[in-house]
Amino acid sequence: MTTLLVDGQRIEARGGDSLLVAMLRVGLHPTGGGCLCLAGDCPNCLVTVDGVAYTRSCQVPARDGMIVRRDHLGGEEPALLPDEAMSAGSAAPAHHVHCDTVVIGQGASGREAAREAREVGFDVATFDARDGQHVTGVYPGPLVVAADDGGRVLHVHPRREIVVATGAAEIQPVVPGSDLEGLVTARAAAKLVGAGIDLGRAVAVGEPPGELPSGSLAGHFPLGQGGWELVRFDGDGRVEAVVLRRHGDDGAAEERIQCDTAVLGLGRNPRNALARMASDLPVRVVGSAATEPELPSCPREGTVCPCSGVTVADLDGVWERGFHEMELLKRATLAGTGTCQGGVCLPYLRSFLLERGGRLQPAFTARPLNRQLTVRELAAGAHTAVTARSPLHDEHLRLGARMDRAGGWWRPWTYGRQDDEYRSVRERVSLGDVSSLGKMAISGPDAEAFLERIVPTRVATIRPGRCRYVLMLDERGYLLDDGMLCREAEQVAGDRFFLTSTSGGSGFFELWMRDWAEAFGCDVRILNQTASLAAINVTGPLAARLLARAGALELPAFGRHRRVRVAGVDCRVVRLSFTGELSYELHHPAADARKLWRRLLEAGAAFGVQPHGLEALLRLRLEKGHIVIGQDTDYDSTPRRLAHEWAVDLNKGDFVGRQAVLRTNKQPLDKRLVALRVDNPPAGDGAHPSAEGAAIHDGDRYAGYVTSDTGTTAGGDATMLGWLYLDAEGRLPREVTVDGHPARRVDGPTYDPEGERARAAVDRRDEAPENVREFPVVRLEATDLAAGIPAEPPRLRWLEATRVSTTPEALAALVKRPPWSAGALTFRTAPDELLVTATPDFGVAGDPHAIVERETAFSYVWLDEATAERFLDRECEWPRPGARPAFAQGEVAGIPARLWFEAGKTLILTPAPFAAAFERRLTASLAEIDGGAT
Amino acid sequence: MNEFTERQMQLTWRAPKKSYDVVIVGAGGHGLATAYYLATRHGITNVGVFERGYIGGGNSGRNTTIIRANYGIPAAVRFYQRSVDLYRGLEQETDRWLMHQQKGILWMAHSEAAVRAERMRAKLNTEFGAETEFVGPRQVEELCPQLDMSGGGRWPVLGASYHPQGATARHDRVVWALAEGAMERGAHVHQNTPVEGLILDGERVAGVRTAAGDVAARAVVSAVGGHVSRIAAMAGLRLPIRTHRLQAFVTNHYRQQFGPIVASSELFFYASQTARGEMLLGAEIDPQPSFSYRSSHDFVQDVCRRALCLLPFMSNLRVLRQWTGVCDMSPDYSPIMGRTGVPGFFITTGWGTWGFKAIPAGGEQMAELIATGEIPELIAPFGLDRFARDRTMADRGSAGTH
Amino acid sequence: MSLRIPCPLCGDRSVHEFVHGEIRRIPDHVTDPDERDLDFAFHHDNEEGVVTERWFHALGCRRWFEIRRDTTTDRIVGAAES
Repeated sequence: MTTLLVDGQRIEARGGDSLLVAMLRVGLHPTGGGCLCLAGDCPNCLVTVDGVAYTRSCQVPARDGMIVRRDHLGGEEPALLPDEAMSAGSAAPAHHVHCDTVVIGQGASGREAAREAREVGFDVATFDARDGQHVTGVYPGPLVVAADDGGRVLHVHPRREIVVATGAAEIQPVVPGSDLEGLVTARAAAKLVGAGIDLGRAVAVGEPPGELPSGSLAGHFPLGQGGWELVRFDGDGRVEAVVLRRHGDDGAAEERIQCDTAVLGLGRNPRNALARMASDLPVRVVGSAATEPELPSCPREGTVCPCSGVTVADLDGVWERGFHEMELLKRATLAGTGTCQGGVCLPYLRSFLLERGGRLQPAFTARPLNRQLTVRELAAGAHTAVTARSPLHDEHLRLGARMDRAGGWWRPWTYGRQDDEYRSVRERVSLGDVSSLGKMAISGPDAEAFLERIVPTRVATIRPGRCRYVLMLDERGYLLDDGMLCREAEQVAGDRFFLTSTSGGSGFFELWMRDWAEAFGCDVRILNQTASLAAINVTGPLAARLLARAGALELPAFGRHRRVRVAGVDCRVVRLSFTGELSYELHHPAADARKLWRRLLEAGAAFGVQPHGLEALLRLRLEKGHIVIGQDTDYDSTPRRLAHEWAVDLNKGDFVGRQAVLRTNKQPLDKRLVALRVDNPPAGDGAHPSAEGAAIHDGDRYAGYVTSDTGTTAGGDATMLGWLYLDAEGRLPREVTVDGHPARRVDGPTYDPEGERARAAVDRRDEAPENVREFPVVRLEATDLAAGIPAEPPRLRWLEATRVSTTPEALAALVKRPPWSAGALTFRTAPDELLVTATPDFGVAGDPHAIVERETAFSYVWLDEATAERFLDRECEWPRPGARPAFAQGEVAGIPARLWFEAGKTLILTPAPFAAAFERRLTASLAEIDGGAT
Repeated sequence: MNEFTERQMQLTWRAPKKSYDVVIVGAGGHGLATAYYLATRHGITNVGVFERGYIGGGNSGRNTTIIRANYGIPAAVRFYQRSVDLYRGLEQETDRWLMHQQKGILWMAHSEAAVRAERMRAKLNTEFGAETEFVGPRQVEELCPQLDMSGGGRWPVLGASYHPQGATARHDRVVWALAEGAMERGAHVHQNTPVEGLILDGERVAGVRTAAGDVAARAVVSAVGGHVSRIAAMAGLRLPIRTHRLQAFVTNHYRQQFGPIVASSELFFYASQTARGEMLLGAEIDPQPSFSYRSSHDFVQDVCRRALCLLPFMSNLRVLRQWTGVCDMSPDYSPIMGRTGVPGFFITTGWGTWGFKAIPAGGEQMAELIATGEIPELIAPFGLDRFARDRTMADRGSAGTH
Repeated sequence: MSLRIPCPLCGDRSVHEFVHGEIRRIPDHVTDPDERDLDFAFHHDNEEGVVTERWFHALGCRRWFEIRRDTTTDRIVGAAES
């Protein structure tokens, strides 16, 4: 027995009843009146079901425990508690279906189309609203989106064809009284009688329903030539009589036919919204959906659009005022903008415009959604953008860091001791996690020439083992990014370089480089090591002493870099400085990051080492006048405006942005990024509120605004960066005000202007070798692939592998005669790039420039085939290869993934920075599938 | 009758003349506003506006109707504030109900960098007359109780910039009121009359070729949206414009009141409630250039997903309708208004995703330029020549969203 | 999904996985170096019709390739003519 609650009243439904039929059994009209079609074409059966408003009760099966309100507008939902909000904020599950042909509608023509397609061997998916499958839209892709009664959202990807066999909708009456109860379409009448509902004295108008048992109609009045014309329905709430008049004779007397139910066969119109929506997609319309629309006669009186409550008088009103286009008529009355999207009114609007204007206008655009899904249903299959995690993420959490999103990464904002973090850098030694920097290895015969073309700094003079701060410009001569460029010390055959970008630029870095490498036709190998390498900045006056304690005695001088083993980890140690203090940036394999970090903290304990967050870093660099891309720079930041002309060598030959720099240098300078010293900024409790965004004035003249101010400087004055506009004489003012406070433009950094601290010569004599602890080689956390399929729940693990960047020819040869063991898995991720689960102890024959590097930037999980298929059906929208074994790559669960399909099991690889997110999505998805299966 | 059925305006259609003082190409908001202000402010009524479809059928009728002035550079703040002010007086001036509703806009921050950006925005806007303040989480919650302040546990609201003058108006009504105001003073508007070419007299543009014949004009203004590169090419110009799709959707009526306009630059969406009670959502442009008006599923899918993080009450609302417009994007996310270097040919373009809010000020300023021959100070920074002069108007405040 | 982009290495994928790139053509009649540069930096054909363009498969092979697309319909017309 199915019991449901309608407006607090318990009603019982029979098996197979739709909600509408169950309500009509007990005499409840869902909306209190209006002709019912029982086919989802009209808005006259809308109710609120279980809190979901605007639900077509004829399209929903009656279910036990359903709570229904005959008020389709929805209620006053109570405020959500946080827990409820969390679950309310989740999306419905999606399910991807790949097939050859989709057939929408399973009437005679739809069944025939499906049969024909299957006969020639096509894989066919069929949908029918009568089976609770509601197609909401046909989209580019092509993609057909549908929802079923089980709450699943289906994303169907047909390879060949979409067949629209949605049939025809019955035309609704537009006459006075069309909002009464007791009006049904002819097909609805047949369904109701079939369900055992007594229509009382039923009178058919127009074409009578075919399937009715004889004797169930009390009268039949054909319409049109030789027949009748429908004038109105009489009644008070419920229809009492149909009023007719002889067709074609306006003077004829009205005939009033008493009835309990008026059965209306007013004609049919193709249900072609999906086909119109699809326009140039591979769509075939069959059956009555393909017929030409029949225009009803122009309505004289009554409601044309029941969704928006638009009457014929309303149409006339706007027509009289000059709204003659279909779209203007629609917009001026809102006809056709409700739930049925013109299903009821469109034929009448067209006939209205034809009669008034003498011109048949096309139907208004068919727009999604054909059936209105809820926000959570539509969100099915989507994920919010994933934020990358450094390999040190958990270390920061362990140390009490507050993590913040910055440039696409989670970064430690503070560890809760901002001032102390700052002081530890200035006075002692500190660690900073800079793993999020973009990192690129570049090699090849044209490596140097290529870099000369993409950075404005002279590359030729960077000697082996040296590094230099470089800008990257776009073709407009505006600053795109900055970083440091290292030329490898070890002279492998040909040149090899290492280039960093900012964290925010790391996503863009590789595509930008490859774009220019192709544009210039340079013979280079490029390997993106952003996720492969973690980086820790050891900074502060005691940095060298800390590193010595960690076993690193041979440290590079300022402006140099070298390979050094630190605490047992192979590092590239780069010595430049962003904080203004003695700094060593340690680039090392991501899998070793956690141990290196812990051992550096251990080794530095005696010096009072502690990590610093981004907030302290922003303050440290500001005192040195170092710019932050995106904060101090803007889309129009030329090197000249940024006062970075020193980083541009216009005499070295062509580079990206050179002509633009020459061109813009011919224009008078308008503004410059300057450092400002503000005395006594308005102080709070030892700190002042940040002045970022504050206006700079030169006397009364607006002269720019502040881009950087930490607002935390103690000691009565503050250093800021800001854009300063030149005055009418083309001069850059020296004395200005910031928010009314006197400020002075300063040249160069306010902290350690000579840069002595960063460049300090390091005296390590106090560190006798016996004081140096030797650390064991770090054991890898990566697990052997042979471990196979892990226990539930699946956990992602680090992958120990090797990545190769070389020429396509050399790679083909390498794969043919692999130098690694037969058990290794090989994934050719691009014609010139390879990932192999082996150690990097081989070279590449035929390419002395090949880059072969240890790779720990991936996490992996093995899933058994059935689990993998269930997961991928939900989270992978592209078609998977059918063969085994097979390799494929693309987005899975919103994250870039590489898939390796073997008989019986599937390997999923994902970049380690996204591993935690992937694991969470995998676990959640499998749990939902398992939950849903019971 | 529903309460929104138009009952006031009168559109008067006339046959095209052989010549006008001013021909405006495109009867969207900007074209009609230019005609309206030429008529009302300068008494210039011998004006013909040519439209290939119906009035307001392009982006004027496809936008998300948001009016605000909280932009990222002084020149833009001043210009949009002028538009906000004109909008506030437009109902009274035209004596027409435009459904103008001041509701405030909250621009949410979920990270320290965004907090900094919103604080900066507040300071800069206030300096140039567009009142904006940075508000903390408690005030955000008071202004919009429907927000999940935890952002679904992942996008916490750390604060927001609040721009109380943020408003909405019914886009169609704005277009019609301007059309009516121009028409009743004598301007002609011609629907279904595409401009197929420009008439050149030496270097000078001297009129347009239309489907209804050649029309001479002393000044031709392109107020075209979506196809401006084609019109400009007729005058031999290449523009710094690329055209992209911009999509939006509405849900069914939501019975509770949803107060302000809510935006998030990190989750890339914004939401407001229409006068009919629908929730209206939009986001950024599609990344690839396109002239297709086709809506995509991934748009509604992604925006629904992101919106659920902050507005979980929307979970059970049904999405009623999606649609698409095409936006002309300039390289610096600022409009391009003024002369073109071709005598007799003016342009107003680059309206990207911010065209609706600029309709009155854009029209007013273009009208002044055409009527007086002098470039008004307010739009002097937005000239087409700014790229050659290295004076791009890089505006972070407009990038990303509406 | 929406628009599907055919990556020659990985197969058809949602446009989400890619970054769009333009192939810029400066008209021959522009000869002054500064004017050519200005055109290259800022101006676009913004063509309504079939264009050849570059796409970078960011979530797959991370390589650029060229395709031809009709900007009025978003239909992929085919691989770039070589």
